[in-house]
Amino acid sequence: MAAASSRPALSITLRLGGMRPWVAPVLLAAALVLLPFVGNEFLAYQIGLFLLYGVAAQGVALCWGRLGFLPLGHALFFGLGAYLSGGILKAAQADAVWYLLLPLAALAPAVLAWAVARLVFARSYHSGPYFSLITLALTMLGFLAANRFSSLTGGFNGMTEIPELPGLDRYGAMYWAVAALALVSTTGLTVMLRRPIGTLWSAISQNEDRLQFFGFATDRMKALAFGLSALCAAAAGVLFAPHQGIVTPQTVGFLLSTELVIWAAVGGKASPFGALLGAVLVGYASSELRDNFAYWEVVVAIAFMAVVRFLPDGIAGFVTRLLNRGPATSAQISAPVEAAPAIFPASRSSRAELAFDDVYSGASGIAIINGLSLKLSGPGVRCLIGPNGAGKTSTFNTLTGRLPSQSGSIQFADQKVGRWAAWRVARLGIGRKFQIPSVFSQLDVRDNLAIALWANRLHGLQSLSNRPKQWQTPLLQELLNLFPALRNSLDIPAGRLSQGDRQALEFVMMALPEPRLMLLDEPCAGLSPGETQRMMDAIKTVAQRLDAAALVIEHDMSAVERIADHVYVMHQGRLLAEGSLAQVQANEKVRAVYAGGHK
Amino acid sequence: MSAALEFRDVVAGYGDTQVLRGISGSLQSGQVLGVLGRNGVGKTTLMRALSGFIPLMEGEVGAAGLDLADVPPQHRLAAGMAYAPQEDTVFGDLSVSENLRLHLRTRDMSRYQPYFQAFPRLEERAAQRAGSLSGGERKLLSFTRTLGLLAPLSLMDEPTEGVQPENITKMAVLLRARCEAGAAFVVVEQNLSFLMQISDHVLVLDHGECVAGGPLALFTREKLESYLVV
Amino acid sequence: MMDSATVLTGLNLGYALCTLALTTLGLAIVFGLLGVMNMAHGEFVMLGAYAVVVVQKLGLPLPAAVPLAIAICGALGWAVERWLIRPLYARPFDTLLATWGLSILLRNLVEAIFGKGYQNVQSSAAAPMAFLGTSYPAYRLFLMALTVVLMLALVLWYRRSNAGLKVRAMTGNPTLARALGIDTGKLATRAFVMGVVLAGLAGVLLAPIVRVEPAMGVDYLLNAFFVLVVGGLGSLAGLTSGVGLIGGTQAGISSLIDQTAGYAAVLVLSILFLWLRPQGLYGRR
Repeated sequence: MAAASSRPALSITLRLGGMRPWVAPVLLAAALVLLPFVGNEFLAYQIGLFLLYGVAAQGVALCWGRLGFLPLGHALFFGLGAYLSGGILKAAQADAVWYLLLPLAALAPAVLAWAVARLVFARSYHSGPYFSLITLALTMLGFLAANRFSSLTGGFNGMTEIPELPGLDRYGAMYWAVAALALVSTTGLTVMLRRPIGTLWSAISQNEDRLQFFGFATDRMKALAFGLSALCAAAAGVLFAPHQGIVTPQTVGFLLSTELVIWAAVGGKASPFGALLGAVLVGYASSELRDNFAYWEVVVAIAFMAVVRFLPDGIAGFVTRLLNRGPATSAQISAPVEAAPAIFPASRSSRAELAFDDVYSGASGIAIINGLSLKLSGPGVRCLIGPNGAGKTSTFNTLTGRLPSQSGSIQFADQKVGRWAAWRVARLGIGRKFQIPSVFSQLDVRDNLAIALWANRLHGLQSLSNRPKQWQTPLLQELLNLFPALRNSLDIPAGRLSQGDRQALEFVMMALPEPRLMLLDEPCAGLSPGETQRMMDAIKTVAQRLDAAALVIEHDMSAVERIADHVYVMHQGRLLAEGSLAQVQANEKVRAVYAGGHK
Repeated sequence: MSAALEFRDVVAGYGDTQVLRGISGSLQSGQVLGVLGRNGVGKTTLMRALSGFIPLMEGEVGAAGLDLADVPPQHRLAAGMAYAPQEDTVFGDLSVSENLRLHLRTRDMSRYQPYFQAFPRLEERAAQRAGSLSGGERKLLSFTRTLGLLAPLSLMDEPTEGVQPENITKMAVLLRARCEAGAAFVVVEQNLSFLMQISDHVLVLDHGECVAGGPLALFTREKLESYLVV
Repeated sequence: MMDSATVLTGLNLGYALCTLALTTLGLAIVFGLLGVMNMAHGEFVMLGAYAVVVVQKLGLPLPAAVPLAIAICGALGWAVERWLIRPLYARPFDTLLATWGLSILLRNLVEAIFGKGYQNVQSSAAAPMAFLGTSYPAYRLFLMALTVVLMLALVLWYRRSNAGLKVRAMTGNPTLARALGIDTGKLATRAFVMGVVLAGLAGVLLAPIVRVEPAMGVDYLLNAFFVLVVGGLGSLAGLTSGVGLIGGTQAGISSLIDQTAGYAAVLVLSILFLWLRPQGLYGRR
């Protein structure tokens, strides 16, 4: 390839944005097509096996590399698909109607996976490593069952003499079916990762907590993703049965699950192509070298440990980083712009009406909120002040589902939100800004803003289309006008912004879903006096623009003076006083608390 | 005679955020430096920087002539500096007496006699889990332990938070007794009466900077209050 | 006067529970106290068992395996903590995976050196003695007694000794521990080494009576994790209740139906706890 003449072509493709990710599927298609001609039919047969394992490994890579949870027992779904497919194919010898059930052999394990994940993640979204152990235990159960129910599965020796798929000779045409599956799954996953759903999945792995505060039901999203990953594994299993002609308990077991993880890790868990590559290269090499070279497995184990320790994105990630020295490709520079749809009606409640009624919340005998009764009605900016340990942040936490309350009621817009999950509260139109600015640090600013724009606007299936990436609203432009520095940083990862810019970004993100009630926790923490002033003005402006209420926790009295229409003072978990700032400052009880006379 | 504690132009914070923007001060043995300021001005950050739990972005900290820059927090007690943080200030799963003998080589608790006399509840609850004590009692336990370390320099972050007024007075007396013996203290406090009872010098922080400082005698109560109040 | 069949059942149950407790002890320290998911725990047990094999091949008396196991597991544990665990402390998944890689490495290394098959450890372990009206292998009785003694010794150490006090302080409040002069890094290393050495010693004790082969560690690892998950991390009550529940379930269902069903019951029980009560029965964390 002549470098000089291709350079203009390359820069055009870069300018079109997004061309580079198509390199992998195109390369893959070329390699797959060439293989039987460059090698021979037997090689194609052997590689075919590892292509199937590779598709299963892509499922592992999806969950682990993108969403941040690790399935340790994925062979369960692969093997289930294989057993079901084997059984169907054998039955189809007698009656061809059975062939119609073949898709079910892939779907059933996927549904099972979705159900398991849905149940587990609904309990607690912190369950990461425990979920891994559950998947491990499930795969072992599968192994035991496969051995035990020998009338169905052929027991220890496996289900043998599985016929080929009609018209697809095992050592010949079957390869093309396998290659097609590998290409479809790689392309499909690669495309999905570049759609809004991919961005949201990355956001889950970076800061799941934060994403919930934008109204995304992350536990349900994770369950669906897990179901999808199981579908990959099961579909590969469905082809495995006719390809190999035999399914043994090893196909559902612990060892194969382990190998899937290793292949995904070494190949590259962040990329579907990488995972596939890992399975083919490492898996095929292992099968050839294992018997000749006694220490081969030792070498693989060392490589795996080295990858975990030093190269978290595997070989594919390493190569991508080498090549990715140019401008970012996520920019839709010349893409058309589309007006964003309206906010969900449920999120646009008519008035900001908040009422805490004698709320108590405590843990191990210590009261954190101790009989808090507080009313807030209508738009405008209020401040919540009080000494350390008064329970100000805890008040926000009880409202937004992060701290369960044991008695009393919390009402917002006629809904009792006492023990609601964070995402449900966010969907009511309550936005939250944290003291330590919490954004998606590895996504660039543009993607961060996009996620905020999608909050309370994006329907399920829309996340699969490219159009939400082109949404714009006038509100976004107005907000960016308040913080011009953000406009220059659109392509920078949010984690690299300065403290001031990160506070600004989080504020803009909180405001984009047009909340009715904004909860801001020390929005000026770490800001210079100039930045503080700008932030305070922005809060006031935005509250007016959105006709919303803002409740701001602040310590800086000059800032409070600037913007507060009304001040609440908390002490020891309850409301001590309220009124205008002057009234509160003159209040004897308040002065005593702050001067430390009575504590 | 080198100062018990000396810090110059300390700049520190979290991540790339500066919270402290250049704080200086010094302290001789037998003296108490009281640090005050409203919430969020950087008092706890200063204590963490002095005790080594957060790194210094700029500036120096020295105790008794020793430069503490390369001394990690777990070695500072041996270097003569004790630290009692504001939160999580006892070992909840250990009993009261275990909390007190953690750093001792023997089980000899005689050094705690004056404290048990002042706070009989502690002695009563010696075998109880420290986590089951009330907030104020935990602060008393932490106070007792810190003074019992007999360190030449002690950093204490809000030692009287949640403690009842009659016990606060006793704490002041016990602390001054340690000063007579030559110990130096840096104490962050919101309780003005306590602060004024114990301090020789004060340092007032606002927005990460020192806005006032000097011998206590130069400040009236009203002046100090004005730095704190809403 | 109990009939000998009941005594025999009771002794077998006791033996099963004791081996479970013995092989879980090390992980109770490493995972229960330090929070490290050491997926190579079973391989340290395996190394201890192979120490006995080596000692036998060299013609030395069996007890010589004890210092050998301590040396191997201690050195390996120190290196692993220093270069694999500590750098990954903040990333629990990566710790899990790195130690899993280590377990594969150790399994395959031993397989490459000793071969895949079972190793035969000659000993008089099967020799029976009269006990409570029935005849039972003396070595098993010795093992059971030793396990109880070991557990008591560990608890005493943890609750009464100075070192145990420091470890308890460190796991409860690491910042305050450092402020009080406890070198938490060194302490964590020593606790980790102690945990893997205990695992090795369990392997030494079990070698005469179980099948010694490179993949023997996997079952011990999984059972140990399930015991800790069900019982709860960081307490003796957790360890004993976990052993009782897991061991009891397995023994009970095995005798009612069969071994496979017994193991399946343990898996189902563990899944339920992982899902509904991940802190276990007596969890502190």
